[in-house]
Order: sequence, then structure tokens, then C-alpha cells
Amino acid sequence: MPVSKSTFYAVVDCDNCFVSCERVFRPEFNHRAVVVLSNNDGCVVARSKEAKALGVKMGLPYYQMLQQFPDEDIVALSSNYELYADMTGRVMSLVRKSAPDFMRYSIDEAFCILRGIDGDEAKKWGEDIHSLVLRGTGMPVSIGIAATKTLAKAACLFAKKYPGYKSCCVIDTEEKRLKALDLVAIEDVWGVGRRILPRLKALGITTAAKFASHTPQWIRSSFNIVTERTWKELNGIDCIPNEHAAPKKSICTSRTFPKLIDDYTSLRTQVANYAAKCAEKLRRQNSVAKTVSLFIETNHFREDLPQHSTMLRATLPTPSNSTITIVEAVSRLLRDAMRNGYFYRRAGVIVSDITDMEGMQPDLFEYDPESYERLRRLDKTVDRINKLCGSETVVIGTRQYTRNEGKGKAAQFSTAIRRERLSQCPTTRWSDIIPLNKGEK
Amino acid sequence: MGKIKLLFSKFDTPLELKTAPEIKAGFPSTADDYKLDAIDFNRDMIRHPESTFYGRVYGDSMINAGIADGDIAVIDRLEEAKDGDIIVAFVNNEFTIKYLDLTHKEEGYIELRPANDAFLPIRVDLHDDFRVWGVVVWTIRNCKH
Repeated sequence: MPVSKSTFYAVVDCDNCFVSCERVFRPEFNHRAVVVLSNNDGCVVARSKEAKALGVKMGLPYYQMLQQFPDEDIVALSSNYELYADMTGRVMSLVRKSAPDFMRYSIDEAFCILRGIDGDEAKKWGEDIHSLVLRGTGMPVSIGIAATKTLAKAACLFAKKYPGYKSCCVIDTEEKRLKALDLVAIEDVWGVGRRILPRLKALGITTAAKFASHTPQWIRSSFNIVTERTWKELNGIDCIPNEHAAPKKSICTSRTFPKLIDDYTSLRTQVANYAAKCAEKLRRQNSVAKTVSLFIETNHFREDLPQHSTMLRATLPTPSNSTITIVEAVSRLLRDAMRNGYFYRRAGVIVSDITDMEGMQPDLFEYDPESYERLRRLDKTVDRINKLCGSETVVIGTRQYTRNEGKGKAAQFSTAIRRERLSQCPTTRWSDIIPLNKGEK
Repeated sequence: MGKIKLLFSKFDTPLELKTAPEIKAGFPSTADDYKLDAIDFNRDMIRHPESTFYGRVYGDSMINAGIADGDIAVIDRLEEAKDGDIIVAFVNNEFTIKYLDLTHKEEGYIELRPANDAFLPIRVDLHDDFRVWGVVVWTIRNCKH
């Protein structure tokens, strides 16, 4: 029997990514229900298999989880993005070395193109990747392989769901494709947006198979061109372009505050922190930004309060990644953006027009190399201290959270980010490396 | 009176000078033929950067293996753990660094041996949920406190 060689897409997807990162360094959490909470410990953003089995839903507010599952033993952890970024970087690096054509799609998934192999070889490739990544980093990954990216994502669902696939499912025949489409619910199809889901269901289109059996003309005229693309992909026509991940053109740091804020000083503290985060990210990728933007928003759901939201932008005389320069620019923007008597709920800082530090073009009239160099040395020192002693050991004054006027011991740092269940950062800080034999001492 | 403005150059970033080997001008350096990259710990001692992690040793249970309190252990998860290797494992709810002793593997158990008579070996039944976490490939001690 002739074996046909062809081109496959493989999607490599971390299983319960954030929970799995935590478990590598906390093996006692294996086999227990574990959830990771969003910023401010607000709601559930990642769940272990056991937590899913208990019925903990994605996005469930933490306090509701406590009410709904009072008797269950669920480990709840604050999100530790420093750890997740490092661990997923390791995973992606191992995958990249095993696949000539690699595209990272998000923090926890990547697409690879496998050329000139047959289905059995693809299956073997996937199983090898699974065991290499698990052994090397402790991260379980699932692999879906098929002729298009959308079908590969569907295959990946099966790889995750049924242990029999040994974490790798390949759709390499027409028979397997049709069977898979039958089993995949329409809401689980990659690329089918939440917005069109109610309409699809109202039309009785509940599975990928029912969706794929319509004509592309009908899909396009009833929905849109993006949905038609999904139709093609499910029918085996490869049409989603391979976007290679380019260095970021803009960086955004934004947060929703734990409480509404109506005074300039408190709001400035918040946005100064976001500005500093953006500056740090710029320095880490060795780039500088020319444009700094700030947005602030009130709470749209509070119909009893006046509403205001705005976004302002400033151009820096010389592209910069200095904390002081960017915080100053944002503080100035805030003065113009903020209105008295309004309660703000959310703010964010965006730095854009990002270029490489080496190719930087300074404005010759404004450029003061001496002060520029001084700021650069200051940032370098602060980054180094924060790297060694933990982030935010040294911050500039504007970023300091002010203490609430409380009663005695009850004084709190009211708006400081709450991360009460934060784990260690054993891969990025010397102070947190894995303790060995600690119980013996 | 004119002002002089001082401009500062950057000297702390490496600038590689490319040499064109075909062009011979002046007296060639005999050392050029021996030029190699400098020793680099990360490049030469870390075989698998993605699977390399670091641990801090507490106590003296491995003192006779030359591993003391405060040392840093370099752990590679992709190295295969062999009999007699120094390994890191997770037992009794903590990470431990010990010699791996596979003498009794056929009998259904293995031992994690300390390198200090004051400590007892840890016996692990193989039907327990046991995995070697990683193999210790180097240890580092700060000799100049």
C-alpha cells in the first residue's frame, strides 16, 4: 500500500498551562483541585482537571467559588506571570528546536508545519514532543495534527479529552476528519466567534459537521468572510495565513482597580505603575518607544454615576525606555485626562512606535546625551536590584501606594495589587530557587 | 566666549570588527589562527538550557559528596538518571538531593542515599508515585563570602 507524504499543521498546546507551571515546583498539588486567580485575585483563570471535574467554571469570581464549594479542598493561587512566562518560554524553545517551521500563537500554544511526512510519522513526532517537553520542563502538552490549523485545533481537543491518544491526535484521513467533525460541538470550533454562536444554534447548527455541510456561499452571505474561512479549513482547505510572531509594535499595561478612584494622587499612583511596567518591558526587549498613551474609564455599569472615558497621547522628544521619562509623560497626560467628580474604574498605559534601541533616531535639538546616559544608568541599576531582590524593591516615588487612613493596625495599602496566594519564582530569581533538603535542617 | 559641549560615547557595548582574511596588509598576527571564543559557563556547562533549574542546598546530609549547606545545585531534567547519580527528587512533601541507589530495583524498591552517616537512606517503593525530578550536573559554592 502506498504511503502518502504530505504537509501537516501541528498545534502544541500546554494542558492547564498556569496550573501545570505551579505544579512543577509544588508537586504536592498533583492530583488535587487547583485554580489560578486573575490579577487582584478576582476570578478563576485556570483550572486543573480535578477543579474542572468539580464544576468550577472559567471566570468564576473567587468569592463565589468559596460560596459554591465550601466543603471542597481547592487550592487557589494568585497568578504568577513571571513564572508562567519563563516556563512557557522553555516549552516553546524545546518545540522550536524540534520543528523547522514554528509559530508561537499565544503564551501556551504554538503551530508547527511538518512537511513531507505521513500520518504515522506525524503521530510519532507528536508523541516524542509530548514526552520531551514533559521530561524537560514538567509541562504536559497536547498535540493535534491535521491538514489545516482549524482541524489541528479540533484534533487537539481529542488529544486532551481521551487518554488513549497519548496526548497526540492526528486527523490524516477523510474518514477521521468526518468523524471528528461529528463529535466537535460548534462552540468548540476554533475561530467561531461568541457573537455568531446564538445565531448558529438557532439555525440548528450545533456541531462542526452540520456547519461544514452547508455551502460556503451560504456561510459567507449569512455570516462573514472570517466564518467562511473557518468553513474552508474544516473542509480541509488550508487558508489561514502563517503569521510569524513579530516583535511587539506596542506594549499595553492596564488594570481594573479594586475600588473606584476619584482623586488625582491615587490615580497617578496607579498609572505611574503601569508606565513603569511598560518601561521595564521595553528595556527587557532592548527597545525604545516614541509615543506614550493613557486611557482612563469610569464604570459603565454604574448608571447612577456620571460617565467619562478618554484616551490621550504624547510624543516623546527622543524615543525612550526610561522609567522616569515615561512616568512623567503619563503624569502630565493624566492631568489633562482626568475630570473632577468622576469615579474611575480602569486605566491603562500604552507605549507605541517602538524601535530597536540601536537604530534610534534622537531629536537633535532636544537630545541631551549626558542626562540620557544618567537615566539609562539609573534604570540599569534599579533593574538589577529588582532582579536580585525581587521586583518592586526599588520604585520611584510616584509609584508608592499611599497608606489608607485606618484605625491603628487596620491601616492598609488599599489599592495595592492583591496577590495573597502568590507562589515563588524559582526560575527567575536567585532568592527563590528550589530549596533542597530543607526539612532535614 | 564659545561654549564647549561634551559628547559622551558608548564604550560598554561590544563592537565586532570583521576581518577580511584574503587581504594581507602589514604584518599578520600569528595568534589569529588560534583565535577561539572565550570560555562561557552557560554555553559549555549547561547542555539543555530549557530543562536546567537551580536549587539551594540546606544542611549537611550530602557533605561527603562535597555538597555543603548553602551550595547551589544545577539540575538538568533531560539527563537520564543512572545508578549512583546525584539526583533531586520530591519525597515526603519536599525536594531532596541524594545519591540514587538502584541496587534493589528488581526487588521493587530503590534508595535515596545521603552522603553523611548521621542521616538514614530514604527507601522508596516503586509502586509509589515516585519520579526523579532531575539530575544534578554541577554544584556551585561561593568560596569568598
